[in-house]
Amino acid sequence: MVAATDPDIQHTTEEQVAQQARRKELVQRWFWRILGYIFFLGVWEYGSGRILEEALLPGPTRIIKTFGELWAGGKMLDAFQATTFRIAVGFGLSFIIGLFIGLISQNRWWEAFFRDATLISLTAPGLIWALITAIIFGNRIAGPIITIVLTTFALVSVNVYEGVKSLPKDLVDMGKAFRVDVIGRNRHIVLPHLAPYLFTGVRFGFSIAWKVTVLTEIFSSGRGIGFEMRTSSQLFQMDEFLTWILAFFLFALFLEKVVLQAFENRYFRWRQGVAAT
Amino acid sequence: MTTATAQLPKSTKPVSLVTRWKRSTWIPRVLFPITILLFWQVGMQVIRRIWPFAVDVLPTPMEVVDMMWGEIINPFVEGKQAITRENLYLTFGRSLLRLGSGFVIAMVIGTIIGLAMGLSKAVDAFFHDWVMALLAMPALAWALFTGLIFGMGNRSPIVTVVLTGIPFVIVNVREGVRNTPRELFDMANAFKVPRNRATRHVLIPSLMPFFFAAIRYAFSIGWKGLVIAEVFSGQDGAGWTIKFYYDAHRAHGIIGYAFFFVIFALLLEKLVFEKISNRVFKWRPKTTDVALVEALFDGPDDAASATAAAQI
Repeated sequence: MVAATDPDIQHTTEEQVAQQARRKELVQRWFWRILGYIFFLGVWEYGSGRILEEALLPGPTRIIKTFGELWAGGKMLDAFQATTFRIAVGFGLSFIIGLFIGLISQNRWWEAFFRDATLISLTAPGLIWALITAIIFGNRIAGPIITIVLTTFALVSVNVYEGVKSLPKDLVDMGKAFRVDVIGRNRHIVLPHLAPYLFTGVRFGFSIAWKVTVLTEIFSSGRGIGFEMRTSSQLFQMDEFLTWILAFFLFALFLEKVVLQAFENRYFRWRQGVAAT
Repeated sequence: MTTATAQLPKSTKPVSLVTRWKRSTWIPRVLFPITILLFWQVGMQVIRRIWPFAVDVLPTPMEVVDMMWGEIINPFVEGKQAITRENLYLTFGRSLLRLGSGFVIAMVIGTIIGLAMGLSKAVDAFFHDWVMALLAMPALAWALFTGLIFGMGNRSPIVTVVLTGIPFVIVNVREGVRNTPRELFDMANAFKVPRNRATRHVLIPSLMPFFFAAIRYAFSIGWKGLVIAEVFSGQDGAGWTIKFYYDAHRAHGIIGYAFFFVIFALLLEKLVFEKISNRVFKWRPKTTDVALVEALFDGPDDAASATAAAQI
């Protein structure tokens, strides 16, 4: 009896020790993390009104209050709606164009043809496109959309191209040997293989898209988060301005971490371990 | 080697003109700008017919080239002046000075925080979320904010450069400290190598590639942040000049300055950073730091936001 239970006891104690150590580390990590929050928020709260005037640097409590006011007024939802619409249309278009360019870049000729386009799209700052489209299109919807497309299509196309390059040739050959038709091959081999690359492209492209959208809204728009930011900064209402930045930040975080992540998890359900990355 | 042998039998066959055309990569590369210019010209003609009021808004390629050539040459010609208050060289000089000072501050503070975060878990937990927040923050927000706080002048652009560049330095340096090979340190201990020599020969070389990634990212992002800050709160500099042309409703000026801007960034990258990194990495067999940055950014979440923020 004793001999039988002995290893069990040994086992549990070892595990307990490990668990205890892990728990201790977790507690320690959270302790420092919370301390960090307290420190930075404290400096901010203390700084407003003491180091800088409160009109210049409103503290966090003030911003939360303003946030509630703006939300209750319905202004925030309206701005979000306008911005989301622009991002959706612009990035949707950009995704299609990027996918197309990435796919035809399998051909070396087209790859070389689009190489400089990709380079320009990646290096030219969004500000330039925002200003040029603002001059040409004024307040029309075309301005922000063209800007989003020009700044983000390259990220999608580069990723698709990388994915196409690393297509598993043996699987494609096997598909051919077993006479799987073109549609089936694309559906079951090419698309699942490309999916992670596409998601990377979307994630990168998307996080740029929302910044660029807000930038274009600053110059040429009558609605949206960027417009509200500009208005409040021109009226020198720092509390509203910081609140809009916070709103914009939360919104982006929500779209990236919740919406995109949900899509990704859903798509990669069949693959274990990938969904987490 | 293998490619050479594989190509041998091919080259013995006579290659037709069409296949040569299909295979060469420089023809499409040259064709791309030609196509764009063609589209630009033809599009202009069409739009001028159907949309007459947009004539002065849309610049022709020749106008842009003229403007750029004028900006380059006018300071050296007697009796001619640049359209803006200061000429091209002074403008970029000013911006570069701001960029440089902001960059140095960001490097120093970022390296200190990054080292501390890499070495201690407590410090890492303390700063982590706030560094991530800084990473995700667009330069635009800082530009407007610092503009309101500091007003016109040098301070707002410099602080914007510091704030946009610093998270990249921190993330890269932290990653570098974490990736130092433990075995090498253990070996140094076993062979009783003094601590300062171990630092000099193990820690610093293994930190270097990450440091360079940090420099590159901080520079290119700082540059974009600087221009946005100058647009909103500058009285001179590259960003201010772009804004000047925007306010004057001269699109050819904006496009011309955009070209200067891109050329300038590429030159800096090619002439300065590549030279330095070649020299520093002479001892290494072959790993370009570009590959390293990519490998780094294949990784977790920091990556996505890092590349994303790099854009704007």
